[in-house]
Amino acid sequence: MRPTDYMRLAFRNIRRQKLRSSLTVFAVVIGATSVTIMLALVTGAKGFFLDQVEANGMLQQVAISAKTDISDFSDASHGYGGNCADCIKLTDAIVDKVKIVPHVTDVARITNDGMLEAITYGSKKLSLEQTTAYDANGILTNNVLAGRDIEAGDKDGVITMTSDYADKFGFKDKYDQLIGKEVRLQTRNFYTGVGADVQPPPQCNGPCKPQEQEQKPTILTAKIVGIVDTSNSSKTIRVPLEWMRGMQQFRQYQMTEADQKLQQESCRNAHGPCNPTQHYTLLVKDMLAENGYGSLIAKVDNSKNAAAAATEIRKLGVGAADAQESIKQQLTIFNILGLVLGGIGGIALAVAAIGVVNTMVMAILERTREIGVMRAVGAKRSAVRTLFTLEASMLGFIGGVIGVAAGFGLTRVANIFVNKQLASQNVHAHDIIGLPIWLILAVIGIATLIGMLAGLYPAARAAKLDPVEALRYE
Amino acid sequence: MNSLIELRNVTKTYHLGDETLKALDNVSFTVNPGEFIAITGPSGSGKSTLANIIGGLDHPDSGSVVVDGNELAHTRDNKLSNYRNHNIGFVFQSFNLQGTNTALENVMLPLVFSHMKNKERKIRAEECLKAVGLADRLMHKPSQLSGGQRQRVAIARALAVNPKIIIADEPTGNLDSARGGEIMKLLSGLNKQGITLLVITHDMNIARTAHRIVDIRDGKIMERRG
Repeated sequence: MRPTDYMRLAFRNIRRQKLRSSLTVFAVVIGATSVTIMLALVTGAKGFFLDQVEANGMLQQVAISAKTDISDFSDASHGYGGNCADCIKLTDAIVDKVKIVPHVTDVARITNDGMLEAITYGSKKLSLEQTTAYDANGILTNNVLAGRDIEAGDKDGVITMTSDYADKFGFKDKYDQLIGKEVRLQTRNFYTGVGADVQPPPQCNGPCKPQEQEQKPTILTAKIVGIVDTSNSSKTIRVPLEWMRGMQQFRQYQMTEADQKLQQESCRNAHGPCNPTQHYTLLVKDMLAENGYGSLIAKVDNSKNAAAAATEIRKLGVGAADAQESIKQQLTIFNILGLVLGGIGGIALAVAAIGVVNTMVMAILERTREIGVMRAVGAKRSAVRTLFTLEASMLGFIGGVIGVAAGFGLTRVANIFVNKQLASQNVHAHDIIGLPIWLILAVIGIATLIGMLAGLYPAARAAKLDPVEALRYE
Repeated sequence: MNSLIELRNVTKTYHLGDETLKALDNVSFTVNPGEFIAITGPSGSGKSTLANIIGGLDHPDSGSVVVDGNELAHTRDNKLSNYRNHNIGFVFQSFNLQGTNTALENVMLPLVFSHMKNKERKIRAEECLKAVGLADRLMHKPSQLSGGQRQRVAIARALAVNPKIIIADEPTGNLDSARGGEIMKLLSGLNKQGITLLVITHDMNIARTAHRIVDIRDGKIMERRG
């Protein structure tokens, strides 16, 4: 018997019992539709998540920290890389080395600092925990709600803040009104960075040590240029990196060798007791250059090269992680969700399988004589078995095809609603419930397979029939 | 002349509950090529069992069955199916046509199992339907045909594979005597063309047209000349 004959015979037999076949197929359709929708939802959500990750460039990033034992992207990416004693500091020398690692296209330097204690607008004063700064080179981006983000040319005295600060200042839903406004930033004690009024130690008589002076908090002024979404970054204010460098500067009046000479010379011409005049020089130390940045984010040319670049960067003696690992964890959740929802849809398919078994058992009872005739004219047992198995598979296949089509239609409808929802939340995405080709083929394949499995037992029964008995069957 | 069918000491027992029924009891029997044999006997006497064993639908419990050089007694299903397909044409009392298929498709059915191409099957089936006088009924379904015509379709189906033997089990049982006579005429015509014909019947008028009558009583053969 030729394959085309099997197909033709099986199809003809299905058409013969139109009502019963349609009802059986309908049950498979319900199962296939529910599996399709469930999996389409999960795949859609997963795809949406991956698109978002891809869009914010995370997959093309490698987070670098001074600590080498990081495994997670987010551990390293927040600029808390830490100063451990034996670590290689993330200085500009390291940045230059990272920049020439293959596939790395650019590097963003991040540093966080707690030297700003409070922010005041008008009469309202809010405490600050973190001030963050990073290169405005497009690697790290923010969802700007009003105004603009920090840009590469920005100088001292410019900040953006996350929306929760703006909310607390009373500008909820009117962030625009805060743009261009001036705020005061209060530093902690001992702040010696830009803007600090650092004084030389007072003159002392006799042998005196230059005593430590308490440096009073400094008030810096800044203009708000933008409000950014809190959800993307922890609540913070951001300043241009170069201003941060200035803020971290350590300024102190110290007595240099030249100062000492001046001091000695101040009494050279004196007759009798002389109180030497103490000379001091204001020394400025670039602490950021000395301690290195909190962390670095390297951008690679293609997300596929992120892992390779991370490996290469680790050879510089620093820690590096790409985003794959943390994304993997989230993808696992999607996969579990897919199994659970797919399983729920699968129950309907399992019920449909029972329907197929029932239909096939009935068909065999009805067609017992026909099976007898087929056997009498030379059909082998295997031919009978194949024929009935194929019939059952076809029921599954037809149900699968219609089910996927119905599922496709329903996902289109669902997308209309989801699109509205997304548009109302300013998310630039649409038609997120996708039906990838693999899913279409998988659902049709599973439905066909279930039909086939359901047909195995009835088909075996048909094949086992004794031709003599079958021909005599009334 | 070498015999076409040779049964030696064939025994077949059926178990119906506690009862054992000896359908064939140590039967030996030969048929020469081209013979027309009527198998008669009361119902339950074992005539159908004899026909089924010769036709390769049933196995004997003991003894040997050789048809055209094929030993059938211990042959496996696959080989037996091929044997039926190539050598035997069955004609049944109740026609056993597939109601949803046309006459042509019914006749094509055995050819499906002999790996013939669809086009060739159609040609062959048309030939057979012509041979039984139904050239103008190819596309009719059994329900659109009379009893006699249906049996002709069944005979055409039996003819399709060019069998050496046609086994007809009460072929006129469901027909009136005029139609029955026509069918017997058709079958004996095929016999004259060289096909060995075994007709199971309890109609003595039909039996008498055979070359030989094999009468079975309680599983034993009482042979008579026709």
